[in-house]
Amino acid sequence: MIKLKNVVVKAKDRVILDIPDLQFERGKRYCIIGENGSGKTTLLRALMGTVQVNNGVIEGLNPDLKVGYLPQSPYAFSFSVLRNVSMVLERASTGEEIALDALKKVGLGSLVSSRGNTLSGGERQRLGLARVLALPKEVLLLDEPTSATDIRGMDLVEALLLQWFEKTNGLLIFTTHAPAQAQRMADEVIFLEKGKVVETGTPKVLFNNPQKPETQAFLSHWSI
Amino acid sequence: MELINSILDLLFGSDPELRQIIVVTLRMSFFSTLFSSLVGIPAGVLMGANDFRGKGFLTRLVNTLLGLPPVVAGLIVLLLLSRSGPLGSFRLLYTVEAMVIAQVLLITPYITAMTANLVGVNAKTINETLAGVGIRGTKRLKYFLLDFRVPFLSIILAGFGRSIAEVGAVQMVGGNVQYKTRVMTTAIMMQTNMGHFNFAIALGLILLIISFLINTIVNRIQKAAADD
Repeated sequence: MIKLKNVVVKAKDRVILDIPDLQFERGKRYCIIGENGSGKTTLLRALMGTVQVNNGVIEGLNPDLKVGYLPQSPYAFSFSVLRNVSMVLERASTGEEIALDALKKVGLGSLVSSRGNTLSGGERQRLGLARVLALPKEVLLLDEPTSATDIRGMDLVEALLLQWFEKTNGLLIFTTHAPAQAQRMADEVIFLEKGKVVETGTPKVLFNNPQKPETQAFLSHWSI
Repeated sequence: MELINSILDLLFGSDPELRQIIVVTLRMSFFSTLFSSLVGIPAGVLMGANDFRGKGFLTRLVNTLLGLPPVVAGLIVLLLLSRSGPLGSFRLLYTVEAMVIAQVLLITPYITAMTANLVGVNAKTINETLAGVGIRGTKRLKYFLLDFRVPFLSIILAGFGRSIAEVGAVQMVGGNVQYKTRVMTTAIMMQTNMGHFNFAIALGLILLIISFLINTIVNRIQKAAADD
């Protein structure tokens, strides 16, 4: 279980994340929603440790925990697509096989020899996911993992993530701007606004019967 | 016509002094670019890839050194290497080594700044991507070096271009000594001052041909590195 207690993240003097109490349980899938600048990415970065937390603590993130993080625009290195994935694998002998398998799973099996920096945005996202999943993970933090993919790619990614989740019973936390995806993929939805958690609940409850006026106002722009 | 003939004579003749000038020029440019790259590229990657206290100051300092006039660099090295200077005991003044030192002083900030700018553009995305797969700290630098291998060659080539074309500093610390420290640029200057314009033009053309050949070779290497 990962617990956030009185976590505050500031950018210069501006508070961009302020979470008094929030917890994520293993074996559950969480979707973070909210408008641009609401703190979704900052929350994932705080969990990943790539942004400095100015106040409070995040419990449960011990160094042995296998955490994978996929930024919204993962970088694709200028070497081959295969090497872009095998770079995370220490044993070169079996590394290429594992990398190839991971790439096939995200539908990039035919592009293994292409240079990473020639891929499209959606392909880069899938490449990034293959890289993250090439090694066993217990926690996945995904920042809009399908924001640039086409509908086929989105299907592929969602199926792969559900497969990973069923196999590992891990913890999946992702952000999205697609309400349908939140409904399909999440056990619990967390609505953020101005860096604060406004409301949480199952997709069914939160989308159909939001309690807070902020959530109602935000969801009024969504059509599922 | 006379001009063209004298240029062709020089280009395809067997003037021993010209051969010596070309060898010294290439030797000086090669070693100064090599040492500047060995220092400048890792320094530029460290500067571009990391956020640290004092980064802004360091960047301003390196950028200021970009504007260092060659004659000032030459003067600094001259004072350091002169008999009464702190490094006078090494007796390096008016040697190719002294010219290389002066060139390194001039070119290293140039290579560092260009590398830092290049790497800095994508550093945040690369760092975040690498952190997401558990690659942090100094391990990241390997991927920066691999990823930018092709543009690094362009930076090295630009450094070489600057080195081979430099005249002020090498004249001061090299002394333009015949058969010893005379390079293309100092020879061109001397021949011009003596009124031997044909010889000076021919030397200039040879300098351009050498640059073109080196560009061609580096371009081939870049293509091979890009396909790797």
